[in-house]
Amino acid sequence: MSPLREDLPHVYPFRFVERTVEKRGPAEGRVRALVTAGGRRTEKGEALPPLTLVEVVAQAALLLEGGDPGIGRSGFLAGVSGFEFERTPVSGDLLDVDVRIAGVLGPIVRFEGTVTDGEGRRVCAGAVTVKKGAAA
Amino acid sequence: MEQVAELKGRVKALIVRQLKLEIDPETIRDDAPLFGDDASGLGLDSIDALELVLGIEKEFGIKVQDEEVGVKAFASVNALCEFIGSKAA
Repeated sequence: MSPLREDLPHVYPFRFVERTVEKRGPAEGRVRALVTAGGRRTEKGEALPPLTLVEVVAQAALLLEGGDPGIGRSGFLAGVSGFEFERTPVSGDLLDVDVRIAGVLGPIVRFEGTVTDGEGRRVCAGAVTVKKGAAA
Repeated sequence: MEQVAELKGRVKALIVRQLKLEIDPETIRDDAPLFGDDASGLGLDSIDALELVLGIEKEFGIKVQDEEVGVKAFASVNALCEFIGSKAA
């Protein structure tokens, strides 16, 4: 429920998630994102491009794990898999992003995420792989 | 022996399927290193290792949570089969 300015290194216009709604585990829970009009995050000021939704899921995962600055601030997106897009969010939509850890091996973490709109309709689902630490 | 050969076949098929490799599973040598720059190996990286962990969990119901264990277990097809065999025993 707290503001996330200290929890996530991303800043506008590359910050897509707003706040943690529910935290169910070390990196499992629900994060809320707001699609805003006229920003670079929307396409022609209205629709959120599907690839941006991948970043939404990645940022939600990072935010949920971001309680530890040493982890949250030094990870990078290493892979994207199995994404299916069902709806296109538009300006004004509130999105809920549910994230859970699917697998861990050392510094490599796979998160599964599901994005739903304010009416509970699925927007997309897929997995992102994050590698903790600086890029080689 | 037949069971070992069958397990190796399943492991090789799993590697190709899980990592979306465009090779014939039969061309993977049993003792070739899966990771690293060795020309005789597959040249997999740490991201691939997590893919294999998830695939092994799904296919064989075995969890690999420790990175060091993973590195040893994933040294080659032979090592991976020994690891799976030890967990299944």
